[in-house]
Amino acid sequence: MTLFSPLKALPLLIPAAFLITACILWLPGHPQVLNNAYTGAFKTGFIGILLEALPFVLLGALLSSLLRVFVPDEMISRWIPRRPLPAILFGCLLGILFPVCECGMIPLVRRLMHKGMPLYVAIVFILSGPILNPVVYGATLTAFRAHPELAYARMGLAFIVAAVIGLAVYATVRKTPLRLSIARESGEPHERSTRGGKLVAVFVHTSDEFFEMGKYLIIGCLLTSGIQTFMDQGSLAAIGGKPLGSYLFMMGLAYVLSLCSTSDAFVASTFLHTFPSGSLLAFMVLGPMLDFKNSLMLLSLFKTKFALYLFFMIVSTVFIGSVLASLWL
Amino acid sequence: MNDSRSIRMHYGFRALLLLLFALYIGHLVQQDALHYYVAPKLARWIRLCPVPLSLMALSLGIQALFGKSARLCDCEHRLPRSGLNSVMLYGLFLFPLLLGFLLPDRSLGSAAAAKKGMALSYVADEAAEHVKFNAASPYLEEFAELAGKLYAQPVIQVYPEIFSETLGAIDLYKQQFEGRSITVTGFLYQENKDGTPKSYAVSRFLVQCCTADATPLGILLDPRTQISLPADTWIEVRGKLHISTYMGKEVIQITPEAIIPVPQPSTPYVYTNADSAAAWAEIQQSGLKAE
Repeated sequence: MTLFSPLKALPLLIPAAFLITACILWLPGHPQVLNNAYTGAFKTGFIGILLEALPFVLLGALLSSLLRVFVPDEMISRWIPRRPLPAILFGCLLGILFPVCECGMIPLVRRLMHKGMPLYVAIVFILSGPILNPVVYGATLTAFRAHPELAYARMGLAFIVAAVIGLAVYATVRKTPLRLSIARESGEPHERSTRGGKLVAVFVHTSDEFFEMGKYLIIGCLLTSGIQTFMDQGSLAAIGGKPLGSYLFMMGLAYVLSLCSTSDAFVASTFLHTFPSGSLLAFMVLGPMLDFKNSLMLLSLFKTKFALYLFFMIVSTVFIGSVLASLWL
Repeated sequence: MNDSRSIRMHYGFRALLLLLFALYIGHLVQQDALHYYVAPKLARWIRLCPVPLSLMALSLGIQALFGKSARLCDCEHRLPRSGLNSVMLYGLFLFPLLLGFLLPDRSLGSAAAAKKGMALSYVADEAAEHVKFNAASPYLEEFAELAGKLYAQPVIQVYPEIFSETLGAIDLYKQQFEGRSITVTGFLYQENKDGTPKSYAVSRFLVQCCTADATPLGILLDPRTQISLPADTWIEVRGKLHISTYMGKEVIQITPEAIIPVPQPSTPYVYTNADSAAAWAEIQQSGLKAE
């Protein structure tokens, strides 16, 4: 397992927290210590996000291992158009085929890349998949019933951002930025390494993926619910008074909250009368592309340098795009 | 590189953890506690999760017990190599389970509401210009229809099924609802902002997908009311609606005639409803039948 160094320290906190929790439980009168309003809110938030992501992570892991066991390597690469522009379009439309939330995206994309999907198409799919799908479109339209143009703008901007970044990656990145452990994965047949036939193989691979992604998911959920429990959103909103501040605030909020792309539109709609609509657009486009748990997962898939390059491109393109879109809105 | 014995150990641990996750979800479903964490439309999917989880556990179990040693390989280097790494990994997965089993399930309350910021008005300002019960956009049409129905009632009953829509409809037509009687149930929220006198609200959390997106919605109670109940008490408030200003904004407010503590409802959160006017008619119908 090749973890990058800053993250290595993070999981250490968990056994420490576990020991502290166990100690508190040993002490007499523990209900009062543990059962206060903060731990209650923290638990509710944490388990809520985890349960919400669980079906999507399982679905992503299952799809990825089905692809691995049943789909031959050459098939995917035969489907993908050779020329970059049609290929990028294909990547954008793939989200309609696999309506997976961003948490289920990474294992699926990893498998697709292993099966021969080019990097830039994979990036386009990672970025557009969680937004450009019928479920999210429906949810956004419901949340902004009074302003349907925001839902159209969200879909449009997501498409443009994904396509622009896909083109940039196509033009600039030559070497594979995948982490070593994945790049070394060879195409040798793995069916013989499992007992009980292909079905068992599917579930063994699914649980491999689940544990691989699950650790980033749980760390992401811990940080997110910690922030939600202790951060006062009202005090932060004061930054949002100025035009630039409102964009930065909404984008920061999208990153920190790590909401599911099907529900973030409803949260955005509660800011409708306090923030300009361009900043809401930035919130709804950035959130599914880049947030806490998502960026941990991306860092596990790609080398740190490429991942940071990608983060920078996402943030700046979404920012520019939503400011331009606000002229039209 | 892991040898086949340690691979078996890993598979065994993983099977156990997956089984525990499946059991935890089963436990939540059995206790009817899933609604503390996710909205009903998502709960459907979570109820299905134990199926793949136990299948995964079963497959790993088969590998751990009966897999031929020569065929077990950690070819992709995905299993943790050192003991410390393994403890960290499995500790991480154990943490939500411990949290879930050891701490009681509780709904979000005042502490979370204070951090998220209580919403006291629910519709965009531009909508407030509409004075009669008709509106231009389809979104406001629904509110207008509901408001018309509510207006015909001697006492407006705020049903939890259409909580946010009812508050929206009343807020949109504040002027018309001035002085009307209302009954609403929620938890008592106490706002302690610096520089403002203590204010109370009766409120509910609106959940779209899961508790991460929960937003507190509330109606202010007249600040002159004497309230000795602790925050987070579930109360039924009966009183009259009035318009007042709070933090420089026009909001609706209840002047309570009675505040009665009630037991916490079985579903503490409220959810959105696609067609609130139809839902309202349905609730009225079933209410009449019950009588």
